[in-house]
Amino acid sequence: MMKSKFTGVQRRNLTGWLFLLPATILIFAMSFYPMVQALLLSFQTGVGNNLQWGGLSNYKRLLEDTVFTTSIKNNFFYLIIQVPVMLVLALILASLLNKKDLKCKGLFRTAIFLPCCTALVSYSIIFKTLFSYDGYVNTVLLNLGLIDSRINWLGQTGTAKIIIIIALIWRWTGYNMVFYLAGLQNIDDSLYEAARIDGAGPIKTFFSITVPLLRPTILLTTIMSINGTLQLFDESVNLTNGGPANSTLTMSHYIFKTSFEYNSQFGYAAAMSYVIFILVAILSFIQMKVGDKR
Amino acid sequence: MKKKLISVLLAAAMAVSVTACGGDANGTTATEPAGETAGSTESADAAGDAGSADGQTLTVWCWDAFNMDAMKEAARIYQQDHPDVTIDVQETLSADIQTLVQTYAMSGELDALPDIFLMDDQVFAKYLQNYPEVFADLTDSGINFGDFAPSKVANSVADGKNYGIPYDSNTVIACYRTDYLEQAGYTIEDMTDITWDEFITIGEDVKEKTGMPMLTNVQGEPDLLNMILQSAGISVFDEEGKISLVGNDGLKEAMNVYMELVEKGLLQEQTDWSGYQGSINNGTVVGTINGSWICSTIMSTDQGEQAGNWAVTNMPKLNDYAGATNYSAQGGSTWAISSTCSNYDLAVDFFNTTWAGSTEFYDNILVGLGAIGTYLPAADSEAYNEASDYFGGEAIYAKIVSYGSNIPTINKGIYWTEEKNALGVALSNVLSGAADLDAAIEEAQSTVEFTVGQ
Amino acid sequence: MRKLRSFGIYFFLTIVSLISVFPLYWMIAAATNNSTDVLAGKLTIGMNLMQNLQSLLERQNVGRAFGNSLLFSSILSLLSLLVCSIAGYGFEIYHDKAKDTLMSILLLAMMVPFAATLIPLFKLFTGMHLQSTWIAYILPTISTPFLIMLFRQSARSFPTEIIEAARIDGLGELQIFLRIFMPTMRSTYAAALTVTFMNAWNNYLWPKVIMMSETSQTMPMLVANLASGYSIDYGVLMLGVLICSLPTGILFLVLQKSFANGIVGAVKG
Repeated sequence: MMKSKFTGVQRRNLTGWLFLLPATILIFAMSFYPMVQALLLSFQTGVGNNLQWGGLSNYKRLLEDTVFTTSIKNNFFYLIIQVPVMLVLALILASLLNKKDLKCKGLFRTAIFLPCCTALVSYSIIFKTLFSYDGYVNTVLLNLGLIDSRINWLGQTGTAKIIIIIALIWRWTGYNMVFYLAGLQNIDDSLYEAARIDGAGPIKTFFSITVPLLRPTILLTTIMSINGTLQLFDESVNLTNGGPANSTLTMSHYIFKTSFEYNSQFGYAAAMSYVIFILVAILSFIQMKVGDKR
Repeated sequence: MKKKLISVLLAAAMAVSVTACGGDANGTTATEPAGETAGSTESADAAGDAGSADGQTLTVWCWDAFNMDAMKEAARIYQQDHPDVTIDVQETLSADIQTLVQTYAMSGELDALPDIFLMDDQVFAKYLQNYPEVFADLTDSGINFGDFAPSKVANSVADGKNYGIPYDSNTVIACYRTDYLEQAGYTIEDMTDITWDEFITIGEDVKEKTGMPMLTNVQGEPDLLNMILQSAGISVFDEEGKISLVGNDGLKEAMNVYMELVEKGLLQEQTDWSGYQGSINNGTVVGTINGSWICSTIMSTDQGEQAGNWAVTNMPKLNDYAGATNYSAQGGSTWAISSTCSNYDLAVDFFNTTWAGSTEFYDNILVGLGAIGTYLPAADSEAYNEASDYFGGEAIYAKIVSYGSNIPTINKGIYWTEEKNALGVALSNVLSGAADLDAAIEEAQSTVEFTVGQ
Repeated sequence: MRKLRSFGIYFFLTIVSLISVFPLYWMIAAATNNSTDVLAGKLTIGMNLMQNLQSLLERQNVGRAFGNSLLFSSILSLLSLLVCSIAGYGFEIYHDKAKDTLMSILLLAMMVPFAATLIPLFKLFTGMHLQSTWIAYILPTISTPFLIMLFRQSARSFPTEIIEAARIDGLGELQIFLRIFMPTMRSTYAAALTVTFMNAWNNYLWPKVIMMSETSQTMPMLVANLASGYSIDYGVLMLGVLICSLPTGILFLVLQKSFANGIVGAVKG
C-alpha cells in the first residue's frame, strides 16, 4: 500500500522526518515548554510567589540596572578575547595531533583533554591557590624578576578578568580539540597526499584543506562557545564570586543571584534570561548565515 | 520502515529498563528507594495517621559534618526511649537548602521538603516572609522558647509566632595565637576590652615584629564589617526594614576602621574560604574574629604545635562611638519543621526531648563536638565550665555564653544578602581607589534600593 | 630544517601538555597530603593517602554515589547518542529548507540559562508524578541541540555515493544508518560519547532538585558536601575530586584510539 502511494523521494523525505521526531519531541517538551513558561514569567513582577502581571516593566527595569549592564560588558569581554584564542589554539593542536608520523599522540591528546574532566571544585581551588597572594605564580614571577612585588591577581578588577579567561582557555581548549580531531578523521588522507605532491607546505595545507573541510565543525564549536561564554556561570561563581566589585560577574551569575540568593524575583530573572537568549540567537544566526553553506 | 524504527527505539528503551532493574536488584541504584520515599510521603498524607509505620521516620536536612553529628547525637538520645523512630539525617549544603526550598515553594510541591531542616539565621526572616507556607507554626507546640537566648529566637519569629528552634551560638569571639603575641611582647589581656584604635596600634607593632597580619577575611565578603556594625548597635536598616546607608555615620566610621586595617596590612584579604582556613591552619596569621563556630575551624589544623597556643577574648569596639561594645553576632542557624512534616507531633516531641529539653544533650555535643548551643539551661552545667586545653586551658565555652547577653540589638530585615553584596562592592571600590567613601556608600544604597524595588 | 620543525612541534606539545596536566598532578599530590599541607600549596606526594581514604569512606557513601553516577550517566549517554545521532543524520542526509529551519529553531533551546527554566521544568515533572525517578533525571538532557548539530555537521563529510550504492544494494534507510553510518562515524561517536558522558557525570543542579532522596546522591553532590563547611579537610576533598574525575578521564583514554581510524579505512574495511 505504502509503496504504491509514495515515490522513492517522498518516502525518503518521510523517513528523514521520522528520524528527527524523537529528538524534536523531546526538545519541544523539555526545553521549549519551560522556555515559554519562563517567557510568561518575564512579564510578571513580584517577590517569591506573590506575582502580578507587569507587562514590559521587567524589561524596562533592565535598562536602568547598572549591575546587569556591567555583567553584559563582562560577558562580552570574555567572549571577544577567549573564544577566538581558544578555538584557534584547539584547531592548531588538533591538526598537529592528527599527523601520521607523530609519536605519543595518545599521550598528548589525553593530557590536553584532561583539564575538562577535572571537577569544577578542584579546578577552582587549584587556580585560586596558584594565583593567590602567596601563590606559586607570584613566587615564580618574583624570582624571574618579572614583577617587583606580589600581585593580588583575583583581587584586582583587571587581573581577575584575565585569570577567568586563562582558566576558561585552560579548561575548554582540549574539549574543542576533540571535535576537531573527530572531524579531521572524516577527511580523506588522499587530499593531504595530493597537496604534498603538489609541493604545498604545512601552513598552506592547513589553510587550504584543513580549515575549509572542518568548516562545519568550526561553525558548531563557534556557536557552542558563544553560547557557553554568554551563559558563563561556573567560573564567575567559583573563581571570583563575581568580584571584586562585580568586575567579573556574568549575566547568568546575576540571574542566579536574583532568583535564589536575593529576595527572589523570578520574573525579573526570566526577563534577564531572555536578554541572553536574544544575544545568543542573533550571534548564532549570523554565524549560521555566514558559515553554514553546503 | 516506521515499524523498524519503533522496534529499535523499543529495544533501546527495554535495554535501559533492564539495566535499571538489574541495578535495583543489586540495591545499588537510587531509583527504588527514591520512589519509596515519594510514595511514603503520599501515603502518610492520605492516611493522616501518626501511628503508621511511615510516620516514625523523620527526615532531616542540614549541612556540615559538625551539624550532622549534633543531630545524630540528638537522634541517639531520642531513640533510647523511642527505639522504633528513625531520624534520617541527610547532608545538604546551606545554599542548596535555600535553592530547594524556593524551588519547591514556587512549584507548590511542598511535599518534597524534608520533615526538619536547618536554616541560616541571616536568611530565616526572608524565607519566613516570602514563603510562609513552608514553615510549621511552633507557637503552641509546647516548646519553651523562653529557654533560648532572646536574640536568637527573634530570628525565626513573624507576627508574634514562632517558626524555629534556635541552634548554634552566633556570638562573636576574637581568637589570637598567644605565642605570636608573646613574640611581640603582648598577652591576651592586652587584646581584651580594647578599641579598634588600640588594636591597630598593637597590630602594627605585632606586624613589625612577627611579619604577620593580625586578621584575615574573605575579600568581597564584608562579614567583619557587619560584625563591627552590630557591635556598636549600628543598623543599616531602619525600623521598617528599609536600607539606610547614606548619612549613616556609624557605617562610615566602621568602614574607615575596616579600610585602615587593610591599608596597614593588618587585615590580609583572602580570595576565598580555602585561603581563609589556610591562613589560620598554617599559622600565617595572628588571629581571627568570627562567630564562635570558628573554633572548629581553628582546631582542624594538622599542625600539632598550635594546640594550647590559642586564646579567646572579645572583639575590639568601635572607639568612642556612642553605644559601642566589644560584642557582636555572626552566622548561626536555626531548625525549622516543614509544614508538610509527615508527623508534626513526633517532630515536636523529638525537639522537646532533645534540642529544647535536654541539658545532657547539649553537654554531649559541647564536649564531643565543640558545638555551642543557645539553650540557656545548659549554660549552668559543668561541661560549660570545663577547661579547653586547645585554648590555653581556659573555660572558653562559659566565656562565650557570657558574651552572648551583651550583644546589641539592631534592626535586621529580609534584605541582608542584598546589603552584604552591595557593601562588599563598596569596600572593593574604595580600597582600589575607584570611588571615594561617600560615593561608594551612595552607590551601595542605590544598588540595594534598585535590587529590592519593584 | 625538517628536524628542527619536528623538534618545535614536540616542544610545543610537551609544554601545552604539561600546563594541562599540572593542576591534575596537583590534585593527585593533594590527595596524598593532609589538609594543612594542601592549603600551604605542597606539591610533592605525601604519606596521607590512606588516612584520607579512610576518612572519606567513613564520612561519605562513595560506593553508592559512584554507582549512581555511573548508572545514570551511562544510560543517559547511550540514549542521548542514539536519539541525537539519528536526528543529526536525518537533518543532513535528507536535508531540505524545512529541516534546516527546524534545526535553527532547535538550536534556540540551549540559549536560555537553566536558572530560568528550572522551576517550570520541575513543575512539569511533578505534574507527571515523576519526581525522584531515573526518568526525571535523564529525560531533560537526552536530546540536546548541541549533539544533534554535532552529528549533522559530521554527516556532511559522509560521502553520498556510499548511500546511493547501499540503496542500490537494497538496504533500507534505517539499515544504512545502523550498518554503514554508525560504524563509519566511529570517531564522531567517540567524541560525542566522551562529552555527553562528561556532561551527564558533572550535572549538579537538576539531579539535586529532582532526586529528593539521599539514596540518589551522585559524585558531584558528594564532592560538594566535602567542599563545604566550617573546617574543610582539603586532603579528603581532593581525593574525592580525584575519584570524581577518573571515569571521564579513563573513558577518554579508552576512546581516543578511535580518533585514529579515519573514514576511509572504515569504509574499505
